[in-house]
Amino acid sequence: MTLGLTRRRLLKTAGASLLGVGAASFPMPGLIRSARAADTVKLGCLFSSSGAMANVEGRLTSVVRMAAEELNAKGGVMGRTVEVVGTDPASDWPLYAQLSRQLIEQDQVAALFGCWTSVSRKSVLPVVEQSDALLYYPLHFEGEENSKNVVYLNSPPSSSVLPAVEYLMGPDGGEAKRFFMLGSDYVWPRTINQQLKGYWASKGIPETDWREEYVPVGHSNFQTLVNQIREFADQPGGQPVVVLTVVGNSIPDFFREFANQGISALDVPVLGLDALEADFEGLDTAALAGHLNCWAYLQTAKGPANDAFKAAWAKHVADTGVPYRGDVAIDPMVSVYDGVHLWALAAEKAGSFAVPEVRAASPSVSFACPSGYEIAMMADSTYVKRGVFIGSLNETQGFDVLWQSEGTPDPLPFSPYMKA
Amino acid sequence: MPVIRLLILLAALFGSPAYADRAVLSGALCAPALADQIAALGALAEAGATGGKDEAAWARTVVEAVDARALRCAASLAFIGEGDAALDAASLAPSPAPVDAAPMPINNRLRAAAASAAAALTLFVDTEPAARAKAATTLERRREALSLTILDAALAAETEPTVLAVLEPLRARMMLADPDPQNRIRAIDAIAAETTLRNRTLIAEALSEEADTTVQAAGQAAMARIDRQIAIGQVLATLYSGLSYASVLLLAALGLAIIFGLMGVINLAQGEFIMIGAYAAWFVQNAIRALLPGLIDWYLIIALPISFLVAALVGVVMEALVLRRLYNRPLMTLLATWAVSLLLINLVRVTIGTQNLEFHQPFYVVGGVPVVGDFIVTLNRLFAIAIAALAFVGVVLLLRVTTFGMNVRAVAQNRAMAGAAGIDARQTDRLAIALGSGLAGLAGVALAPLYNVNPNMGAGFIVDSFMVVVLGGVGSLAGAVAASFGIGQINVIMEPLYGAVAAKVVVLLLVIAFIQRRPEGLFAPKGRR
Repeated sequence: MTLGLTRRRLLKTAGASLLGVGAASFPMPGLIRSARAADTVKLGCLFSSSGAMANVEGRLTSVVRMAAEELNAKGGVMGRTVEVVGTDPASDWPLYAQLSRQLIEQDQVAALFGCWTSVSRKSVLPVVEQSDALLYYPLHFEGEENSKNVVYLNSPPSSSVLPAVEYLMGPDGGEAKRFFMLGSDYVWPRTINQQLKGYWASKGIPETDWREEYVPVGHSNFQTLVNQIREFADQPGGQPVVVLTVVGNSIPDFFREFANQGISALDVPVLGLDALEADFEGLDTAALAGHLNCWAYLQTAKGPANDAFKAAWAKHVADTGVPYRGDVAIDPMVSVYDGVHLWALAAEKAGSFAVPEVRAASPSVSFACPSGYEIAMMADSTYVKRGVFIGSLNETQGFDVLWQSEGTPDPLPFSPYMKA
Repeated sequence: MPVIRLLILLAALFGSPAYADRAVLSGALCAPALADQIAALGALAEAGATGGKDEAAWARTVVEAVDARALRCAASLAFIGEGDAALDAASLAPSPAPVDAAPMPINNRLRAAAASAAAALTLFVDTEPAARAKAATTLERRREALSLTILDAALAAETEPTVLAVLEPLRARMMLADPDPQNRIRAIDAIAAETTLRNRTLIAEALSEEADTTVQAAGQAAMARIDRQIAIGQVLATLYSGLSYASVLLLAALGLAIIFGLMGVINLAQGEFIMIGAYAAWFVQNAIRALLPGLIDWYLIIALPISFLVAALVGVVMEALVLRRLYNRPLMTLLATWAVSLLLINLVRVTIGTQNLEFHQPFYVVGGVPVVGDFIVTLNRLFAIAIAALAFVGVVLLLRVTTFGMNVRAVAQNRAMAGAAGIDARQTDRLAIALGSGLAGLAGVALAPLYNVNPNMGAGFIVDSFMVVVLGGVGSLAGAVAASFGIGQINVIMEPLYGAVAAKVVVLLLVIAFIQRRPEGLFAPKGRR
């Protein structure tokens, strides 16, 4: 046991201790943050403000901020100020997972609000499951998933797409007999179309009466496909309908080509499952009037809750100067707004921000959604029960309510039509 | 005593048979069943057609109110407008609607019937022959509320040859189910005059229940005729789609070919120059809307030189601040131009926003012209093709005829030798960059009626345009044209066969295979590098 302090050894120790300091300093910001977090509670956002989804997704972060301000104006949640941490996953699916991990571990957010496409949700799913976090997901989607770590704020096909297609097949909707499915090539369109085919088969519609085509995500040249649709529509066999599941900037590109080739919604209506008011911002909709969409909220929904929401959003846009239109409110905006309030109500009820307790308290709280329905989470799954609207596009880039459901139908996480 | 006067007026109106009839006709629109509502629209059209000009004008007002979603129903009374501002649909006199008056729900089938009824009534109301001719063409496609009674009344009253030219074949077409076989044959011929698949389906459906052999023969002949035309139309449609896609590729690649070919600079910001051109066009549009609203339809044309100059200016600034310091370091220029592209995207995003810009669509880029069969020339794509052709011709002339062009070619072939011959190579570079970025600006204007204009629009073009430049042969304009046509046409032919996803894969595989066989591209540049 001599004091063999050689030069080499000295260097080694010094290096190791330096490394130790380095390693120790790494979590330091986290420590500082959690110390400061005594009087605040954080909500994390995963919405792209760049890339293919930016046009629609970006505004959701602003809505979360607006909802947080509303909570703070009433004294916060359990006396804590709500702080919103925004990120930009840049429409890059793996980046959603990376940023969600950062938000959970580094920023220690109480809940995540995020994702638009299903592929981004699927990429975040393992992260939230591993660290038992809570992701509030604001889009209607393909279903076939039931994770206790995701609150599905919007409807699976059983309570959105199928009622809409049923309407189109009924006498009021034009007795649709033949269907052209056109989608972007990823999980949401493929699963929806799979379920639709199963549904039609169960109704006795022959396989020759539908066609299925996919385009790459971000596809913009729809000439050939609109030609194909025209050809399909002009063949005998009854009223044709296009079920459109392309996403993002492909939607306005498709509708522009559709109108330019002179096809009227009165002849071939398009049910745009992801089509929103915002997708028509740059388009002349006089030639497109009558095309359809189906969501759990439409801007033209009647009721005081909707008026208050629209006024709040217009004011938020004017106050903060965010580059979005203050007079356009879309379903995912309302869904994420509902999500923040549902989370706050559940946390208040549970008296805790811990995920298991918030989750346990969630089914027992309800919120007056701007859509006019009182919405609440299911007791046996993390799906939120929403009303259904079918919208018809009008000349002023908005959707009029064509039909809306009596109450809030129970969402079915797993579709019985998937086997077909 | 306005109230009493109103009551007297109402009593007088209720007493008149015309009011009673009109109340029944308009009230029928409030029926609960869709089929009854459609029948009510037909009845309105027929009443207008047979009841004289006043009746037709009244019926059209009601029908248009249906289409504009202005009709309110209380029990079986129809009102136009809401609350105190409402009109009684039968008298068109002001008559406050009851509070429980509900808007008449309107779906696509009702809208189709309303459009048809409105067009039919326009034939009797409008004094403009052009408006009547337009209404007649609408009726060709929308016959939901049209009956032979209406058509015969219209034919009897019509004197204008242009309108008659539409209505007479339409009358013939309506005879498809007539008991007289001669009339059926005439109907088939009238339908087959427009050779679309839709009309072929009409004839085929009629023939499936046809017993008369002469009618069968006429129908089969008509269908064969349509089939030939449709086949021609399909070939033309494929060529046109390919041509339009090629023009987009060429527009995006032309400027790149010049910069890449001349200096070997890989300009990854080229897509963003396209975006800047489109944004400049948007600013031009807004300026014209504010200052010279009369010229708003021509803003795309006015924007052409302005977008060219704006994009060229940005290109020159980029050259002065970035590229000039990095000549002969291709990897660095690649990274630097990429940084410039990110900078431009985010600059636009922060200052203007991520949303798609709203462009006024002038008449020359809206809709399409049917040519043969089901082939439609869409005007927005024709606009892009025209601009691409003009830009290409302009660039070729510039390079072949002017001194500047000669300098560019000299520098591209041998930089040192050109310098020795007294050409200021750096000056030429600068001008060539201005030209290359300006062309991207032009592309931005041409693509604005075709694509979404937002900060990220450029990213979609950069890969495709590099593919065109590399495939065509570095710096070869003829190569760029050939490559864009090749890629465009192959894409369009593959798409219906294997789907859009596979078409992209096939095209990329073909490009890889081609480049492996012929790394210098389609047209190899002559000269020393």
